[in-house]
Amino acid sequence: MYTNLAIPRQWSRLACLCRSLTSVEGQKLPQVGKSSDGISPPPRIPRGPTDILQALAATVGTDPTAAHYKYHDDPYLIPLSNFRKRSYALSAEAGKKAAAWVRDQHPELFTTREWDPPMKMKTPYFNADPHIEAFAPKPIYNDESKVTEEDLVYTIKNALLEDAVKVFELLGGVDNVNEELKLYLLQLICFYNEKEPISNEWIEERWFSTAVKERQSTTWKLGGLADKIFTSMDPKTPEAYCSLIQGMAKYYQAERAYALSREALENNIPLSTDVYNSLLVCIGFLKEGVTLRVEALLELLNEMNQQGITPNTGTLTACLRSLSAWGGGKTLQNMALQIIAEFKNIGIEPNLSAYYYLLCLFCKERGPRIDILSGILTELEKKESLDPEDIVDTSFFITAMSVCSEHLQDMNLAERVHELLMKGDNYKLVGDAYKESIYYRHLVTVACRYAPFEKTMGLLDTLIPNIYVPEPTVMEEIIKVLELGGAGERLSESWSQLVVFGHARRLRLVERLLEAMCACISYQDEEVKAKIRKSAADMLKFYQMAEERNENVSTRTPVQKLSAAALSNIIDLCSTGEEPESWEAIQLAVNELGSASGAGRADVISAVATTAAKKGQHALAASALTYLAECGFPEAMSASVDTLSVMLNRSTEEVETILQGTDLEGKLQESAMAVVQAYRMSKAGEPLRERDSSASSSDSESSSDEE
Amino acid sequence: MNNVIKFAQSAIILPQWSPIFASQFHTSSALCRVVSGKYRITKKRDKPLTYEMANPPHYIAHRKTWNSWNTCKIFTIFSMSLELLFAIPIIKTYSQLKKHVRFVTVIIKRQFNHIRVAVIIRRAVSPTKMYFLLGYSEEMLSNWIQCPVTLELQTVDSYQDVVFKYI
Repeated sequence: MYTNLAIPRQWSRLACLCRSLTSVEGQKLPQVGKSSDGISPPPRIPRGPTDILQALAATVGTDPTAAHYKYHDDPYLIPLSNFRKRSYALSAEAGKKAAAWVRDQHPELFTTREWDPPMKMKTPYFNADPHIEAFAPKPIYNDESKVTEEDLVYTIKNALLEDAVKVFELLGGVDNVNEELKLYLLQLICFYNEKEPISNEWIEERWFSTAVKERQSTTWKLGGLADKIFTSMDPKTPEAYCSLIQGMAKYYQAERAYALSREALENNIPLSTDVYNSLLVCIGFLKEGVTLRVEALLELLNEMNQQGITPNTGTLTACLRSLSAWGGGKTLQNMALQIIAEFKNIGIEPNLSAYYYLLCLFCKERGPRIDILSGILTELEKKESLDPEDIVDTSFFITAMSVCSEHLQDMNLAERVHELLMKGDNYKLVGDAYKESIYYRHLVTVACRYAPFEKTMGLLDTLIPNIYVPEPTVMEEIIKVLELGGAGERLSESWSQLVVFGHARRLRLVERLLEAMCACISYQDEEVKAKIRKSAADMLKFYQMAEERNENVSTRTPVQKLSAAALSNIIDLCSTGEEPESWEAIQLAVNELGSASGAGRADVISAVATTAAKKGQHALAASALTYLAECGFPEAMSASVDTLSVMLNRSTEEVETILQGTDLEGKLQESAMAVVQAYRMSKAGEPLRERDSSASSSDSESSSDEE
Repeated sequence: MNNVIKFAQSAIILPQWSPIFASQFHTSSALCRVVSGKYRITKKRDKPLTYEMANPPHYIAHRKTWNSWNTCKIFTIFSMSLELLFAIPIIKTYSQLKKHVRFVTVIIKRQFNHIRVAVIIRRAVSPTKMYFLLGYSEEMLSNWIQCPVTLELQTVDSYQDVVFKYI
């Protein structure tokens, strides 16, 4: 017992020793094959450092109803519109950039870790454990810095193009740098065409950088540093030739690239497959006319064969890229299919970008419908996972979805594409923010048009608003579906969605929404009706507030006013209820009518006048009728008679006889008098301005507002 | 048997401390008044406390579990004190710079080499600015202490919202 007492002291050492003895690294690999007792343990599978984390992560699916993890999980900080999503993510990154700048400017402040355990040796610089490269200050190179070749290697390895060029110059330029480093620099410059790429560190900037469609124009810098380095190299190695040709071809300096490849062939310099791939892309710039181009393409492929160069997936992609760039037509399409078949014979499967070009070639906007997509999907669904090989791979899913929605108009195919994108790790192929939003725009559009109502709603509920925020055009599509499906509750919620997404100022959308609400309010439950009324009243309030803001602050794009048709829709919606709020809204809307553009719906307004009279709101009825009469609606006469009969509690015949008589002033109350004026105005067929103004000045304030 | 259990328990704790520096017994007199992390009652009983502050440290892992969630061991929270000393001045400077960004309580916890700072903040700054400051402070702190730092903000409309009781 007592001998054990010494152990606690040494326990950790002992444990450490035991661990090292039994650790996985120290283990012997079990022999494959049967042992004597019949138990055969499976052979050890080598694991990477993050494999367990990835396995754990794979057990948890993504939650589509939660905001992306780059946003802070707090109701105040979760963005709900496209604009906010963009600005929040980019501002966080701007903050990071600012901190990185401070760090790089003052590297002396970021050197030590104060709390290293006392037994650990303190070194003055970066003794973090584990040492994380990303947190260390980056070196800054300027004219005074003393540089060595190591700096050049460092900058080239980290693709810091401008720094690399600077260091190269400081080292003495083309004459004083050894051939190997010159080759590395040449490769870097050729790849980026002497333009500093956005660093990998700034994820958001890359994600949100507006995808400017790559212009197919010559952007290669002629006589730039790349050319200088190349001429200074002696002997010119095949690698140098290859990188220069590929750089030129990548930035569309087709003729020079082609000439250089001829030169290389004459000098018996072997070229790589990648060089031929890039040359295949350039054919369109060298030759005119489809037949000549196809000939040149075949010629190049034959040349590869003669040189004994094996083609790869890139070759197939390059061929298809060229073919798809040369327009459509039967010949090119057949040619493409032929090429794919031939590549399949030698065991080369087309990758995503090849399929992308195939889709471009076959599914033209105004061409005949060709269902090539389902075949492609069947091929892709067989694969375990899709690995990105080319930057164009990210265009596949967006194009496939647009083909589904615009070319084939097929919901089932769209679902298959979406399933494929969601499978495993494939979502990385969605591209950037711009591509992602276009992808979902197509998906939602095709779902709205061709899918059953329930399915569409399910899709919308998962996507909106965290994954995708619909653009105005898509929103209109959604409102249309909701109207057809008669989903009153969702329609009433759409208004708050419009506000949250930042579309509330788009008048066309709001008016469309009001129309949709009017169309389906009649057969809703009372509860839903109340909700719709509430949102209609809210719209009115929103626009009034916006107008007030317009007057106070001059903005570049002032909010438009609701049109008379929209206002009468609001009146129509609100008049279905009894609550004082909706009648206040009606009052507001009627007051607004006079200054609104367009014509209101006469039937709605006359109906509301009668109802208002019944409810004892005579002033409201009078101003509604005055509006009708001023606009010259024929309904004004009958409506005034009806309203007056309600107000005076007489039958219509009696009212008409009363109206025949003159000298009514003084006998009727003010609002009834205003109705009489309206009647006379519409009977006369033209607005009687003089009498009207004198009458309205003594009338209730509502009608004087209309002047 | 008892000994064996004790050994097992000590084995859990000890690897934290190097065997050389772990002292075996204390010679100083016991100091029983434990006051850290507790708040003094004021005369007028008007000092606002959040729920987190209202629970003294011995309630960690009982009433205020969140302090021990996602930490590798409770021990590390205390061994963090040096880091804490280092990080808090930075946060304090921020709060001085931006008077409207006042922090109620700062909880700092460590998960391996990952430090999380949880803060309640008032919604006085626009979200865009908040995101900028978030990105800036996260990057700055992680550059400074050379390990990933995450700020976990929670926003409230006013500080009254987080008052649990007055003492």
